Parts: sequence; structure tokens; C-alpha cells
Amino acid sequence: MKLIKELYAYREMIFSLVKKDLRGRYKGSVLGFLWTFINPLCQIIIYTLVFSVIMRSGIEKFYLFLIVGLIPWIFFSSSINGGAISILTQQDLVKKIYFPREVLPISYVTSSFVNMLFSFIIVFIVLFISGVGVNPSALVFLPIVMIVEYILALGIALIASACTVFFRDLEHILSIITMAWMYLTPIMYSVDMVPEKIIQIFNLNPMTPVIIAYRDILYYKKIPQIETLLQATIIGITILIIGTLVFSRLQRNFAEEL
Amino acid sequence: MQQDNVIEVRNVKKKFKVYFDKGSSLKEKILFQNRNRYEDRWVLNGITFSVKKGEAIGLIGKNGCGKSTTLKLITRIMYPNEGEIEIKGRVSSLLELGAGFHPDMSGRENIYTNASIFGLTRKEIDMRMHDIVTFSELEDFLDNPVRTYSSGMYMRLAFSVAINVDADVLLIDEILAVGDVSFQAKCFEKLKEIKANGTTIVIVSHSMGQIEQICDRAIWLEDGLIKEEGIPKFVGEHYLATMENQRLEKKEEEYQKIFKEKKLEEINNIEVSEFESKLNDDEEEAEIKIEKKKKILLPAFCNSRAVRSGNRIVEFTEVQMLNSKGKETMVFSTGEQMLIKMQYVCHQIGTSCNFTIGITRDDGVYCYGSSVLLDSKEVIIAKEIGEATITIEYNRLLPGKYFLDIGAQAEDYLPYDTICSVKEFQVTVPVINEFGILSIEHKWKVDGNAIKQKNS
Repeated sequence: MKLIKELYAYREMIFSLVKKDLRGRYKGSVLGFLWTFINPLCQIIIYTLVFSVIMRSGIEKFYLFLIVGLIPWIFFSSSINGGAISILTQQDLVKKIYFPREVLPISYVTSSFVNMLFSFIIVFIVLFISGVGVNPSALVFLPIVMIVEYILALGIALIASACTVFFRDLEHILSIITMAWMYLTPIMYSVDMVPEKIIQIFNLNPMTPVIIAYRDILYYKKIPQIETLLQATIIGITILIIGTLVFSRLQRNFAEEL
Repeated sequence: MQQDNVIEVRNVKKKFKVYFDKGSSLKEKILFQNRNRYEDRWVLNGITFSVKKGEAIGLIGKNGCGKSTTLKLITRIMYPNEGEIEIKGRVSSLLELGAGFHPDMSGRENIYTNASIFGLTRKEIDMRMHDIVTFSELEDFLDNPVRTYSSGMYMRLAFSVAINVDADVLLIDEILAVGDVSFQAKCFEKLKEIKANGTTIVIVSHSMGQIEQICDRAIWLEDGLIKEEGIPKFVGEHYLATMENQRLEKKEEEYQKIFKEKKLEEINNIEVSEFESKLNDDEEEAEIKIEKKKKILLPAFCNSRAVRSGNRIVEFTEVQMLNSKGKETMVFSTGEQMLIKMQYVCHQIGTSCNFTIGITRDDGVYCYGSSVLLDSKEVIIAKEIGEATITIEYNRLLPGKYFLDIGAQAEDYLPYDTICSVKEFQVTVPVINEFGILSIEHKWKVDGNAIKQKNS
């Protein structure tokens, strides 16, 4: 409770860090902010080429199937990988001045989130160009899914950022983990393709219900199953609580360890 | 926590792990496990103090004594291993100026970023914008990117933000060396103003002058413990004297080491006149001992809390304070004559010498000072044995406890012999009819009728 109050007092710091991050991300590059769109677009073109030309998956409008899962995933993986080093990269600040340390991972995850919102412009453009369009009553659930994913990403980023301070290898280990995680999440394939035997284990992945919900809303244009959504919410909140507890325990020694 | 305390530090201990050779990656952790050995170094060994609202305290002590660690614990950058720290209100720390400044952003944008790190909201920053900009005197450069600023301008901007945060507690670590002389003076004025408005200030500084000017109380830390706490001027004197003694002792040690090496060499090289050299050694050693004694032991004429320093080319041998009847005393009344007699010996013939006195009240207020050189405007050559006196015809000091400082210096103010608080004396008055430090001649007139002073 005290933490929430304090974070609220420091909200301007979060805003200004997010702004700085978004502006600084592509500063000095010729195409600037356009890279926010170019990068996921290229990934989508590559995956589409591979999966609908070479290894045919047989999924209708595969590019659309892919894009609605891949863009949320890019947000999630960049939150973990970038969030993990968010304390390390701001160590001068951490060593010299007091502020609630949670501000740093929160700002990083938030700026990635804003980036995802911009990327969703592409998603909608593609949806309309392909003639699929949107279902307004399903679209109402989109912000809810986004918030659930944000909570999940933040929880993991809090744990990752605090642990990376004490154990720097985690940064590199995490980039391998997120790569594996991507293939274990139904982004490039659908859940139906997963063998019956391992489906139980597969469903433990907290990102699975999130991606399924995104796909229900945007690709299948239907209201996501409440059950799926609830499951994702519960997992997200649990991880956020664990993340906050771990972070508040570890943050006491940040200044000495950096 | 007591009602009017803003900071309470209770028996705080802090240790650091000092790694001999630290590896933080997995490979290093597994492969070189024995490299992970570390040693606990206790930086604070249990300090306790409290600061009241609106009070300013200064932390002094030599490098590594725990001053900066204490500040970091108060700001919550670090946490103590034992003990508790409690603080009321918003803390602003000037440990690091310009935190989060981005060189490509304009001065104005950086003000927002920097102030937000102190926990200010946009509205609060907007309210302070004008004050910050005027204080920094950077109106014309505000929309230029910060990378085009000179380092002085950069610091000015950063300081202006930090000082305008309106914190309840302001922590300052050795950063008053900002900008040019006039800006420094301005910062000082601002600090005093902030203090007068009720902000509590904790300063770490090596400049005793700064601490004496701003602080109500000084805390001297040594080896992680509070060695002395009290009025800045007196704590400072003791601190500086101890430091000086330590420096001299170290110098002496080095000298003796070199001397011994030399002696060894001599013994190895020449076997002749062994007896003679031994005799010389004894003499030298005796000399060093005498000198050491002089430094540590205070002569009988000094007050017990006196602090003595200087190279003793000219040395005081006796100091007396006499009243109008020529009797030695430590109690004077306001208006009485006061005679201060200082006897000296000079160890170097033809030394030019200046004598000074100073009077300080027991709460650290410097009341009066005078020097021969400032009066005469010409240099006096000291005799081998001589006496300097100063007669104060009319003692204007009001009742209280005072300390006398005396000094003998070269014309360039290099101290020969300085004794702070050499004498303690009391000023009394039969009937109190004035308040403050000094008695000033005055006449009251009410409705045209002159009021007469009655002394009974």
C-alpha cells in the first residue's frame, strides 16, 4: 500500500523516463521512429515466407494469424530482456539518489507497452486491407487482454531486474529463455497442433492464454473465453505479487552491489 | 520518535563486504570460488543522534570515517545492518547533482526530468519553474540542449533544481563548490533562507568555515563512532588540532624510519666513530621526545579545553588576564578594564611577528578580534624573550561565558603558535539592563523625557 502511494508520488518520473526512452530509442538513426514499425514488419515477412511458402502450415491468412500473436510477444520478450537490465543501466542514478527502485522496471515495461500500442496500428491496417475487418463487441476485450499481459510482463521484469543486479549472467540466460519460450507459445502455430499428451504441461505457460485471447479477438473475431481470460489474469496478478515481494527484498542491497 | 525530531538515527551499524577479487558472472563464480572471499568492513559501529526540525548539522571527520555512508543511509540509498533510522517528510539529497540529465535535451526538459527524480509532479514543477530558472540565471540558454552548456552552467542548473525542491530534509555532500564565487555566495544565502523556513539540513563537508556558517551543531565521526558533538566552532577546533597532530606524528615516524635506515647504512659502511654517532642519536631522540611533549601536553597557563597548533618558532610561555587592579582573574564585569598579557620566547633571531587575540562566546559566536599588524600596518621583529599586551579600556561584552584565543603569526599569517580557548572567563554585571552580545551606549527618550539609567 505504501509502495503504491509512493509510486503515485513519483508518477512524473515514470512519465519522463518513458518519454525519454521512446524518444531516445531511435535517436540519431535516419528512419527514426519508423523502426518501431519496420522491425516487426520484417519479422512477419520472414516468418510468413517460411511458414506459408516453405513449411506450409495450412492456416488460412497465415500472416494475419501470425501478426496478432507476434506483436504482443515482441512486447513481452522485450519487457523481460530490457527490463532485466533496467537497474543495471541506470546504476548511476541508483547509487546516487533515492527514489522507489520499482520505477525503473515499470518505466521500461511501460515504454515497451506504448511501443506495442503503436505497432497495433500495423495490425489494424493489415486487418482492414486483408478484408477481415474487426468485430466491435470482441474488440472491447482487447484492452483487458493488453492489461493482463502488461501485469504479467511487469511481474517477470521486476524479478528479472532485481536478480540481474546480483547475477549478471541472467541477462544472457534470459535471452535464450525468451527464445525458447517463443517456440513454446502458440504464436506460429495453433494450440490444436499440440499433441494431446503434453497439452497439460503446455497450458502451464502463462503466455498461452494471453496469445489465445489476442487471437480470438482479432483473428477469429469472437469474444474470448472468459475461462481463458480469468486464468491469465490470476496468473498475471500472482506473478506481479511475487515480483513485488522479491524486488522489495533484493532492492535494499542494490547500491552496494552495483 | 520524539515530537519535534525530524531525523532519528538509533544505534546504526553498517558493514560492507570487501571482496578481494570479485567476479559476478557465472563462470567466475564457479571456477574461482576462492576468489569470492571477502572481508567485512564495519564503517559505522553504532551511531545515535537526532536532528530537530529546522536544525542544521554538519558531519565532519577524515576520509573513510563514515560521513557519506551516514548520509546515504539517511536518504535510503542504502540500509543499515543494525539499528534504525526514522525520517519525517520529503528528503532531497544533493549527493549527486544533475541526476538523469540528458545532454541532447534542452535545459527546460532536463529541469522536468531532474525534478521528477526528486518525486515532484508536473504541477509542482510548473509552480517552481520560475524560481528555478531565475535562480540558475540561465534564462537565455533554457531552450538550448544541455550539451552546449559549460560545466559551470550545467552545475548551476542542477543545483537550482535540487535546492528548489522544497524538501523537509536537505542532505548535502560536499557540493557547495558550484560555479563562480558570486554563485557560491548565492547558494549559501539560499541555504540560510531554506533553513530559516524550517528545512532541516545535514551537511558533509571538509570546510569547517562552511559548517560554522550554516550549522547549529557539528558531529565529529571517527572510525564509525561519534567522537564529539556540539557547537561547530569548538568541535572543529578539536578536530583540526587532532588531525594536525596525527599529521605531525606520521611525519615524525617517516623521519625516524629514514633516519634508522641511514643509521644502518652508516653502520654497515663505516665502523669508525661508533660511539660518537650513538651519542648523536640519543641527542636527536631526546629532542624529538621534547618536541612531542610540547605538542601533547598543554602548559599550566592554558585552559583544559585549549587547542594548540603551529610551528613554535615563536612560542607563548605565559598568558594572563588582569583586571583594572592588576589582579589575575577570570571574572570581569561589563565596563571594566581588561588587560591581556602574553609572554613569549622566539627561537629564531630576527623573526617578524604579529600577535592576535580573539574572543568567542561559549555558544560559538565570534565576538571580537584584533591584531597588531592590522593596527600598526608594519611588521614587528620579535625579541628573544618578550611580552605583548593588549589593554581593553572598556569591556563591552555582556554577561556570559567567553573564551580567549591568542596567536603569534608570521606576516603572511603562517601560524607560529595559536592557542584557541587558552583562557575561559566570565563576564558579569550587577544589574542586567541590556541583552545580546555587546553593551552599546544608548539613551531612551519617551514623549520628550529622557530616561535615566538607574543602577540599582
